[in-house]
Amino acid sequence: MANNEQATRKWKYGVNRWVILAIIVVSVFAAGMYPPMRPHIQLPAEYLTGVLFQFPGTGEDFRLTNSMVATLLADVLILGLAIFVIGPALRSGKQVFSGIVGVVEALLELIYNLTEGTAGKWAKTIFPWFATITLLVLVANWMELIPGVDSIGILDEHHIEHIDHSVNPHTDCAINPLFTVGETQVYSVGYAEGSQVAACAAGIVPFVRAAATDLNFTIALAIIAFLAIQIIGVRAQGLGYFEKFLNFRALFAKPGMGIIDFVVGIFEIVSEFSKIISFSFRLFGNIFAGMVLLFVIGTLIPVAAQTGVLLLEFAVGLIQALVFGMLTMIFMAQATQSHHAEEEGHH
Amino acid sequence: MEAAAAKLIGAGIAMIGAMGAGLGVGMAAFGGVQGIARNPDAASAIQTNMILGIVFTEAIAIYCLVVAMLILFVF
Repeated sequence: MANNEQATRKWKYGVNRWVILAIIVVSVFAAGMYPPMRPHIQLPAEYLTGVLFQFPGTGEDFRLTNSMVATLLADVLILGLAIFVIGPALRSGKQVFSGIVGVVEALLELIYNLTEGTAGKWAKTIFPWFATITLLVLVANWMELIPGVDSIGILDEHHIEHIDHSVNPHTDCAINPLFTVGETQVYSVGYAEGSQVAACAAGIVPFVRAAATDLNFTIALAIIAFLAIQIIGVRAQGLGYFEKFLNFRALFAKPGMGIIDFVVGIFEIVSEFSKIISFSFRLFGNIFAGMVLLFVIGTLIPVAAQTGVLLLEFAVGLIQALVFGMLTMIFMAQATQSHHAEEEGHH
Repeated sequence: MEAAAAKLIGAGIAMIGAMGAGLGVGMAAFGGVQGIARNPDAASAIQTNMILGIVFTEAIAIYCLVVAMLILFVF
């Protein structure tokens, strides 16, 4: 039995080796014939559509951006996974899960154990936040590893003019579209000769761009996490939670030294709001840097090197998703613990 | 000086801050490995806390990176 298993594994390994070698050889020739070019790196997300509607209250224009598409795709993926894969697997009554259900189970078990270890009896309240944030950010982060994300899209005149003012998109851009759907021509960032065509090809507005490379996504998530932390603090301690920030009790109970406690509370307010900044910029910086790294390595060393960077980004995406969720969980657990009671317990 | 050159120099200077984060990450890993060497049984708990500390420290380098990228791609 063991021998047999080993034999099959060896055989599989032998075949895979040649397949990988063939892919490497093909990619060497492909990179030589069609040298890849660097897509235009831009900080704000690109608009895919015109003004769809205006917000009723403020009159601001709403336009669909490509990072919004990525967020919606991540939502759809998670919901689809939950409804069509994990739900039936749970209802099938199996004890041991395999495949993707097993992976999700392992991840959620890790998350639940971490929550229980830190938050104790509040674990059941805090766990959904931790799990939701981690799953959403994880799927959104890993999306940038898929070929085609960041590189397939439509040509936008304003975008091209923004990159190179001397290029007229109507007359100079003679690159062939990948395919055409109705009136829309879909292009891919790819081989281009001459600087004008290069500007055209780099000016492609991708359909999908990793959600966390847009600050709006990370700041929105950070504000949601921040508000949830405050709400859980109030649920656990009532209005006494705000004593952490405005410590009037210390001011009256201990005249003199109480002022120091009060000032510490003011600093707590500052540190509470700085959480939004640190949460959002950590995720944004990591994923945006990963995107730039993928672009640059892909153009500098088109063969094999990008595999290593993809592996690195795979790990970074997982770690950042876990860290975002874990920090939310830790701050929530801290918010449930009364600072005052702890002090009394010590003395 | 040309604006483009000043941009590149500015982005380079902004990344000096990564030096501190590098020192910090090294110190965290140093402490973690020493702790694991002394008490291998506590390796998993030490690892979790070490990674958490490293991530906090790394955030500083990421801020530098964000500032450098803002200089390069926004202004």
